[in-house]
Amino acid sequence: MAERTLYEKYGGFSQVSKIVLSFYDTLLDNDEVGPFFDDVDMSRIVDHQTKFIASLLGGPASYSDNQLRQLHSHLSITDAHFDELEAVLSGALQNHGMTDEDVEAVVAEFGKRRPLIVR
Amino acid sequence: MTIEAINEQLLRAIGVGVALLDRQTLRFGFRNDTFEEWFTGETEQTRLQELFADLDVTAMQEGLTQSGRYASEIRFKKKRRTLVVALDFTAAEEDVLVLVCQNITRIKELESMIDSYSMMVERNTREIKREKEQVEKLLLNIMPRSVYEEYKTFGVVTPQMYDPVSVLMLDFVGFTEMVASQDPSVTVTELNDIYSAFDRIGEQFGCERIKTIGDAYITVAGLPDPTPDHAKAIANTAIRFVRYLNRRNLSHPHQWQCRIGLSTGSVVGSVVGIQKYVYDIFGPAVNLASRLQEISEPMEITVQDSVANVLKDQFDLKNMGERTIRGFGDQDIWRLYDNN
Repeated sequence: MAERTLYEKYGGFSQVSKIVLSFYDTLLDNDEVGPFFDDVDMSRIVDHQTKFIASLLGGPASYSDNQLRQLHSHLSITDAHFDELEAVLSGALQNHGMTDEDVEAVVAEFGKRRPLIVR
Repeated sequence: MTIEAINEQLLRAIGVGVALLDRQTLRFGFRNDTFEEWFTGETEQTRLQELFADLDVTAMQEGLTQSGRYASEIRFKKKRRTLVVALDFTAAEEDVLVLVCQNITRIKELESMIDSYSMMVERNTREIKREKEQVEKLLLNIMPRSVYEEYKTFGVVTPQMYDPVSVLMLDFVGFTEMVASQDPSVTVTELNDIYSAFDRIGEQFGCERIKTIGDAYITVAGLPDPTPDHAKAIANTAIRFVRYLNRRNLSHPHQWQCRIGLSTGSVVGSVVGIQKYVYDIFGPAVNLASRLQEISEPMEITVQDSVANVLKDQFDLKNMGERTIRGFGDQDIWRLYDNN
């Protein structure tokens, strides 16, 4: 049997959807990273965040390294932006009752993508 | 506090945006707190069209004339967040227009999320289905469909007796030397071509290929579904195997020579093994086909006596006399020729 993913552990889509929405809210209010989404259509942002959280938690989405690099290539994302998003992410996870250990694991997963995103 | 005062308090504090307009001029008369909070910008707009530039006023007036109501939706950005508000106009008495606004942003966001999620899930479902079909295809390559169905339903396969069936065993002459002297990858590629052709030929006559072991090829007629003319089916298959090789040898540098043995009898078919399972058949007919194949000459088909008796009327056969066959005693054997 495959190991249970965090996505399953925290209740699948019905619970993860709440994490996504709160992540979405904080992100848009955040003046460091929010501006990246200034001119993006709402449904596209939501789609993006749903896939983002799902892929980090081992849900039904996955991106190859090449896809991630490609998708972010037109954005000037700095290390500071990445750090900020990391904080927003771990905040959203903690607020939804994820254990410290699991939050760390997700943040570590997230951190692995840094070289693909930051230029 | 009067009832009117309480009503007005409620109207102001409610989480729904409410405004009253003049039906003719579309000027705002009253706006509650929620409405102000959502829609009041730096400059005060006094008319509906100024506030909602995208609103189709003509359509609205038409709707109001026809049914007294009109519903629409507007989207606008507050900071970088898209807000979606449902507008509901109702014509009230004395040329007053009641506008009720509901914030449906969350609903729209959730709709988008469900879209996104269902698309991911649907894609995954398609992938799983594709993988399942692949697995099924692989399993059907090693066992008959009815056996596979049993395996899928119960997780095990009960060994089953098939009686009577006809077995064809084919082996290539000098295959070992061929592998040693030629480029092995070329030899294997050619073997693959030939086996694929054999599979197609066998399929035409209702034969089920059981397995190949190196250069040995075993196929059976009458399994898993009983076939009354299993002997004819196997004879036709054998003749076409030889015919195919003869034709192939004309145009290929490598010459493939086979020996074939045909026998009839009962076999037991079952899945063997747990992790690396194979479907296999066991029984005297299998062993006899193997012996007959061994005593066959290159590009010749050697047939068991009882099979020959069935085939005599329709096929070209020659009695080769009695032979001692290991494990089967003395038996007459026959040679089957292509009468075409």
